[in-house]
Parts: sequence; structure tokens; C-alpha cells
Amino acid sequence: MLLLCLTSIFLTGCWDRTEVNDLALILAAGIDKGENKNIELSAQIYIPGGSQGGQQSGMSNGSSSGQSFVRSAEGETIADAMARLQEELTREVFWGQNEVLIIGEKLAKAGISDEIDFWMRHSEPRIRADVFVSKGRSKTVLGAKPELERDAAKQLRKIVKTHIGVKVTVKDLSQMLSGESAPAVLPWVEKLPPSLMDKKKEIPIINGAAIFKEGKMVGRLDDKETRGILWPRNEIKSGMITISIDDENGYISLNLLRSHTELIPSIKNGQWSMHIKTNADLEVVQNTTILNLFNPKVIKKSEQKVADEIEQRERLAFSEVQEKLNSDIFDFANEFQRKYPQIWKQKKDEWNEIFPQVAVSFETKVKIKRNGLATGKHQRGVEQ
Amino acid sequence: MIEKGRISYLELALIMYATVVATAILYIPYVTSQHAKRDLWLSPIWGSLSGFLIVMIIVKLSKLYPGKTLIEYGELILGRTLGKIISFIYLFFLLHDTAIAFREYGEFIESAFLHKTPIIFVTGSIALSCAIAVHGGIETIGRCATIFLPIVLALYILIYVFLIPDLNVKNIFPIMQDGIMPSIKGSIAPHAWLSQFSLMSFLIPLLTNQQKVMKWGMFSVIASVLTMVFINLGNLFLFGGIISNLYFPVFEAARFISVGSFFEHIESIVIAFWVLGGFVQLSSFFYMLILGTSQWLTLPSYKQFVLPIGFLIIIFSVWSTPSFEEMIRGMGTTMPFYFLTVQLLIPVLLLGVAVIRRKRSKSFLP
Repeated sequence: MLLLCLTSIFLTGCWDRTEVNDLALILAAGIDKGENKNIELSAQIYIPGGSQGGQQSGMSNGSSSGQSFVRSAEGETIADAMARLQEELTREVFWGQNEVLIIGEKLAKAGISDEIDFWMRHSEPRIRADVFVSKGRSKTVLGAKPELERDAAKQLRKIVKTHIGVKVTVKDLSQMLSGESAPAVLPWVEKLPPSLMDKKKEIPIINGAAIFKEGKMVGRLDDKETRGILWPRNEIKSGMITISIDDENGYISLNLLRSHTELIPSIKNGQWSMHIKTNADLEVVQNTTILNLFNPKVIKKSEQKVADEIEQRERLAFSEVQEKLNSDIFDFANEFQRKYPQIWKQKKDEWNEIFPQVAVSFETKVKIKRNGLATGKHQRGVEQ
Repeated sequence: MIEKGRISYLELALIMYATVVATAILYIPYVTSQHAKRDLWLSPIWGSLSGFLIVMIIVKLSKLYPGKTLIEYGELILGRTLGKIISFIYLFFLLHDTAIAFREYGEFIESAFLHKTPIIFVTGSIALSCAIAVHGGIETIGRCATIFLPIVLALYILIYVFLIPDLNVKNIFPIMQDGIMPSIKGSIAPHAWLSQFSLMSFLIPLLTNQQKVMKWGMFSVIASVLTMVFINLGNLFLFGGIISNLYFPVFEAARFISVGSFFEHIESIVIAFWVLGGFVQLSSFFYMLILGTSQWLTLPSYKQFVLPIGFLIIIFSVWSTPSFEEMIRGMGTTMPFYFLTVQLLIPVLLLGVAVIRRKRSKSFLP
């Protein structure tokens, strides 16, 4: 009897319990500039019932209808908008599973520093969530129904994982924004034009990057330029490089195996410069020329060609980012601070004027490690 | 002797380690980084000076008065009235310190998980379970420490092992950009935590044998300092410049873990294990307070004291600080000086007087 009474005391510990079916799991969130108020928050909310059909048939049959829905609300801050969103929902909003954050173009241009506070401060959203900037309103991106993945959130997360473009989490963004002159780079989301299969479907893809300065979006890079910034940021994980050699017909395509980039800052006679040293290993996957790749001279030549190609991409990116946008997304500021702490302290306030003047030089070492398994055509070198 | 139980060197080292480290890893990164910025990992090393000094003094005192705690030899050294007063100040400080430790525990659980639960339930429930351990005596606490701390220690290391892909070692540079001062300023919080080694005085008389106590005490200080340095470095590598914006970097680090996209969102497990360390810490604070109080009142047993003092601790934990922000502010400003004044000054005073008295009595009695 006494035991029963005692257990009842501990049972009161459940007074504010929340069961899974009392929660509205947010899979992805989008923030935009509101029409009437400051912020419009759109949330993609998971519908738990939807997944049962998939389980019964053993695998998801690809129809992603009805597994999640999008709701939005306006407010002065994100939290305010969230409270309004809550009014329309029967279940309690839960941010713990939110892994994607999309910022609308308009809001990005107006500035995002203030909004990041919510993601850092609130205890539910994860600072590992991936951040994107969408062309147009983020709400439309969230509503998209991709073919292969369950929803837009999953789609974006998977794409960004392949490291074709930049991958930025809330933590990274916060780190970048806390730097000198608050530069940042975020992946840029666009809609793939309606695919041939189904005219109604629109799929979000990553196409380039948005560049920020002082917490405001100042410009965007296209896909090619974005590839160029990945090298100095040491973020490139995979890639295909196609080269043509001098006057030969055809091309050689190489697959990137691994690469490592080092930034070496130096200050000489008041001239700030940055040496970008890249080591890359590649393998040949296609050769449409008649060159024999077992010939060391050919290999040497193509290595040089690849190095030129990489440097050209980097130059392209630098001309856009450093000269036009003047946004230090390569973290040069920290590199200089690490090597020249004393000079940095004096010149810190002038960084905005110094950064465009930093002379950038490249040194790229390329090694072709393998030639693939077989060749598909006769070779000139063998006959000679 | 009120306590019949005995502990080994290892148990002593582990109890002291838990007493210092459990809450230190939560609060020290934030408090030190406010001053030290990137050099926050150096601060515990400066802080270790307090730890070593206090261990030396306490061990010296216990050699002069074997089998006695600070409360007991205080009276022998300074005489009955003055000794009682000094011991009371120390005990009152210990009550305050214990209450703050409970509050630190409670505030963390509140900020991280139980936002809506009144803090008194969080601290009250841990106090209740600690009370059971304290009632069991020092041997129970020693056993708890030997069982739980290896798990907790493994956890501290595992958090950062899982985060290796996200760690950026470059964040450590430039070291000492503004000279040595910021890291010394940042070290006042580690000083405060490490000064808690004065509590060793309550444990030394309970050792089965006491020859190597100096070695094990130092070992415990070194282990605590290394843990703090390790945690600070791990957080610095992970968060870089934003470290001074995060109140609980260790917790954020645990939330950040994601291995192979299935081993993630594990912060609840991490904190569940961390609570084990917190439990050992709070139990030992609680135990020392009760042992000290009953020695001060020269009572035959401490057991009937457990619940009333537990209640007093909870009340004090509410009184000790008005809010979380004030507590964090206090940790970086006033608290370290308060801690050091009581925990360093009183033992130094006692040792000084004791040594002078010994010399005099020797010269008077040839």
C-alpha cells in the first residue's frame, strides 16, 4: 500500500509529457521577408500516417504525396512567427528533427545575422542543420515534390552531401558571420525546370552559391564559379575534369580522387599576398584522343593541362568574389591573423580595403594515379 | 571517528576528480573564453597552481594532525572559540558551495531539456538520490565513483572522437595573440574550481593508509586540469571563434555529433551519462558538508542530519543566485575570489599558526 502511494509520487514526473503523436515534426523550415510583418516562416511538417503505406508494400513506391505539408505564418521574429504557426496546428511544433533551413532571396539581401540568433539560442533546432538560399520564396521550394526522395528537405540534404556545391551548416554560418566583415557563402537553390516525365513536378536543385557580406547577400556565383571556390576552401570532394591537349582531337576526362589545398599568407613590404597550394590526385575515366596514356610525356602534359584547368577555375572564382563582390569567403582574414597576429591587430579595421588588394598566386600539383582498366581503341603510341 | 568506512587512494582521487570536473566542463569553457578567447585551453593550466598549492597545504596539515579533518584541527590549532568560528565560516562556505553546485546542475538540465519544470524538482530529485548515497556513507560514494567515473571519462573522450571529421586544429592559432594576460584573466574560473581541492581534507582521514596521499592528490589535480584542457581544446577545434557565444559548448558538441547519418541526435544519452558524474560530485559535496557539520557539533553520528541538511541545500540553491545569468556572471567575477579567500586563506592560516605553535612548543620543551 505504501509502495503504491510512493509510486504515485514519481508518476507526477510525467506531468508535461509529450508523446510522439502530440508533436508536429518540422523537417525543413524556410524564412522569407513577410508581406505585412518582418518574417514569414514556412515549415514543412511530417505527416506520420503517410509512411505506413510505404512500410506495408515493403518499399516506398515513389509517390511522395501526403507525407508532409507546408504551412506558413508571419511574425516580427522567427519565434513570433512560430507562435502564430502553432495556432494553426493541433500538435506541438518540434524542431528537433529539423535539418534544413532555407532563406528566401529577399530576406538574404536584407540581412540574416539577426535571424541566425534563433537557431543558435533556441534549444530545439540543431546547429548542424544545412542552410540554403533559395531563388524567390523559400516556401515554393519546400512545397516541391521530388521524384526520388521523400520531400524537398531530403532532396536538398542529399544533394549537398555529395559535395558538388558548398555545404554550410548553421554552425558554419554563425562562424563565418562572426568573422571580420562577416562574409559568408551559402548554396543557392533553384528549381530544375519541369522534367520531361511529368510537367507538374518541379525539383529543387543546387545551382551555384550565394555570397554574403556584412550579413547581407551581395551576389551569386554560377555553378562553374562555385566549383572554383571549392578548391581554395578545401571542400572539394569529387569532380570531373575534362581537358583537351594542344592540337589533338578529342578529350581526356579525369575523375578527382582526392585533393588538399593549403593557403599560405605572406606580407612583404606592405604587400599582402596569398599563395594557394593545391595537391590533387586524379584517375582517367575516358580518353577520346589517340594518345597513349602509358607514355610518361603524355601524362606529364595532361597533368599540366589539368593543373591549368584547376587554376583557371580558381581564377574565375577569385575575379568574381574578390574583385567584384569583395567578400572574404575563403577565410583569408583568419589565415593572416594566424600568421601575422601583430600586423593583423593594427590593420584589422582596414580589412575591407585590403582584401581586394591581396595578390593571389596559385601552385597546383596534379598527379594522375591510374589510367582505368582498359582502353577502347587502338593507340598511336603502341605502333610507333 | 564518526565515519567507519574507509576508502582507497584511487577512490579519493576519483571523488575529488568528480567534485571538480563534473560541472567545470559545462561552465568553464564559456566563462574562460570571455577573457581568454582562443587561449581558453591555457587557462586551466594556470588554474592548476591553486590546485597544487591547496593539495600541498592540506596534505601538510593532515600530516601534522593525522586522522583529523579541517573542522577538527581548526579547533586544535586556534583554540576552541576561534577554531569554532573559523570552522563555521568554512562550513557555511561549504554549504553555499554545495548549493551552487546543485544550482549549476539544475540550471544546466533546465536550459538543455526541462524548460518548464520548476528547478526545485530537478535539484530536489537529485538531492534525494544523493541523500541515499550519503546515508550509505563514504564507501558507497567511493564505489559509485569507481563504477561511474570510467564511463563518464570515456564519454568525455568519445564526444570528441565522434567529432573528429568536424574538428579544425587550425582554430588554435594564433596562440597568445595578445600576450599571456587574457589567458590568465580567463583562469580565475578554473582557479575557483580547482580550489575545491581543499575538500580533500575531509577525505584524507578516511584513507586506509595515508603515506602516498600527496602523490594521489597531485594525480587528481593533474587529471582534472588535463580534462579541462582537453574539453576546452575540443570545443575550440569545433567551434573556433564562436566559442565565446555558446553557454554550454560541451552540450552543443554532443548535439553536433553525426556519424554516418544514423548515429546522431544522441545528446540525451550523453547527458544521461553525464548525470552519473554529476551524481558523484553532488553526493561528495553533500557528504563532506554533513560530515563537517556533525564534527563541528561533535555528534556521534551524521545519519540523522542527511535529510534536514539536504533540505537546507535545496533552499540555499534557490537563494544563492537569482538567475542563470547572474550565476554565469558571478563565475567570471566575484565567485573565484570568494572561493579562493575561504579555501586557500583558511588552510594557509591554519598551517601558519600550526607550524609556529609546533616550533614554540618544541623550544619551550627541550
